[in-house]
Amino acid sequence: MVYTTMEGALFEPTLYIVKGMCILDNDGNRVLAKYYDKDVLPTAKEQKAFEKNLFNKTHRANSEIIILDGLTCVYKSNVDLFFYVMGSSHENELILQSVLNALYESVSILLRRNVERRILMESLDAVMLAFDEICDRGVILDSDPTSIVGRAALRTEDVPLGEQTVVQALYNIMNTNY
Amino acid sequence: MSSFKREKKEEEDGGGSPYQSLDKTIVLQEARHFNETPVNPRKCSHILSKILFLLNQGEKLSTQEATDVFFATTKLFQSKDVMLRRMVYLCIKELSKLAQDVIIVTSSLTKDMTGKEDLYRAAAIRALCSITDSTMLQAIERYMKQAIVDKNPAVRSAALVSALHLSSTVPDLVRRWANEAQEAVNSDNAMVSYHALGILASTRRNDKLSTVKLITPLTKYTLKSQYALCLLIRMVAQLIDDDDSEASAPYVRFIQSCLGHKSEMILYEAAHAILNLKKTPRDLASSAVSVLQLFCGSSKASLRLAGARTLARLTSKHPTAVAACAVDLENLISDPNRSVATLAVTTLLATGAESSVDR
Repeated sequence: MVYTTMEGALFEPTLYIVKGMCILDNDGNRVLAKYYDKDVLPTAKEQKAFEKNLFNKTHRANSEIIILDGLTCVYKSNVDLFFYVMGSSHENELILQSVLNALYESVSILLRRNVERRILMESLDAVMLAFDEICDRGVILDSDPTSIVGRAALRTEDVPLGEQTVVQALYNIMNTNY
Repeated sequence: MSSFKREKKEEEDGGGSPYQSLDKTIVLQEARHFNETPVNPRKCSHILSKILFLLNQGEKLSTQEATDVFFATTKLFQSKDVMLRRMVYLCIKELSKLAQDVIIVTSSLTKDMTGKEDLYRAAAIRALCSITDSTMLQAIERYMKQAIVDKNPAVRSAALVSALHLSSTVPDLVRRWANEAQEAVNSDNAMVSYHALGILASTRRNDKLSTVKLITPLTKYTLKSQYALCLLIRMVAQLIDDDDSEASAPYVRFIQSCLGHKSEMILYEAAHAILNLKKTPRDLASSAVSVLQLFCGSSKASLRLAGARTLARLTSKHPTAVAACAVDLENLISDPNRSVATLAVTTLLATGAESSVDR
């Protein structure tokens, strides 16, 4: 409980806000994970240990936010997937929450609202690109799901028009030269 | 292409997921398909995502393995497929830390970043800056400046954020781009303005006078971007902390005006800043605390935690202000979120009087 005894401090004026983002399955195994600060969880072993711990603490209680090992983690789950965004414990929780919303919404649009592991694995490449569009080495790059998806969901030609989201359909039309 | 689809289906029926129990050596061998002409975009993109998946799972590649894959990947620049190209960029970024001689893709990436395809440009800039070292930066400087003033917001953001990363190794060079960045602060695009303000803040961190020059006009009108506004509040709060003379009065007024913002993110940022100043103006403290009080009653857990945590940190500094929130904190003792409940209990124990123990 370091944070309760600590003197209050101003938030630091920096763009490096996100320490990590990950998606875990319902056994707590990593589906995708990115850590952006080399001082926080530098090795894969430490990261996986942290993820296990995080999963054990969060998979039953769906309570949105937890402070663990000096990191503020906001999370959200659906069917068999758990989405997490981590930031330092001296960070504005609501900014982290906005990043989580961007991550979840983008993935949800990419998977056409079927947010589950099997479907995600089928479009893993697009989800990787979405990760890359949301956060660049800890800097929030974009938080608007429609523009993130517009740049990540590039392979839409084989989706029947009826199943495309409005964004994707518009996107295809705009990029087709008649 | 259709045969590949079938192949993928069979793979799935057999092993559940195409990514289950991947073997490193087999995946690395599959990279030989990159040499085929013409390039099969779907197949190659799938192989790239397998490689990225392995790396993401913590699999280690030796320098030799990484370099081999990296060179194989460069063959894929022949293809014009957008998705494949984007996956190539991702691979370049991931492998640039592991492989040798990664600078051989410089010219391909420079071509993409100055090309016509907007979808390539932003991503190409970011990939390029991840392989560029300080000696080569000179060569791409002109393109970076152009990208910062580009009309496509994704390109501008990519250039600004990449410049920020570079500024840790070559601060002087990036400082020369200040004019371009200054212009970008006033962009209508929320993220562009946020990133531009961020890079200006970081290059002027140790120069108080120019920070004042940067901030003062910005406090006069409202920035559209929530993130930029949060950053501005942080910068303003630091200025107030450094200088508690009359001169900081307009800054205090600025933060006060943010307490009336409709976005919760800004409200919290402003309240947090006010309460954590070295000298909190008394009339402002109570309005900041009432914001946190509202948060404690929110239905969103992250808001309740934000409120309870900031109050918890205040116990030694403003005990009376925290004591006034005792009732709100008592409601949080049985909160379903354990972090919130713990914070509420510890705060109450630190500030509580005998009268409240009974309840």
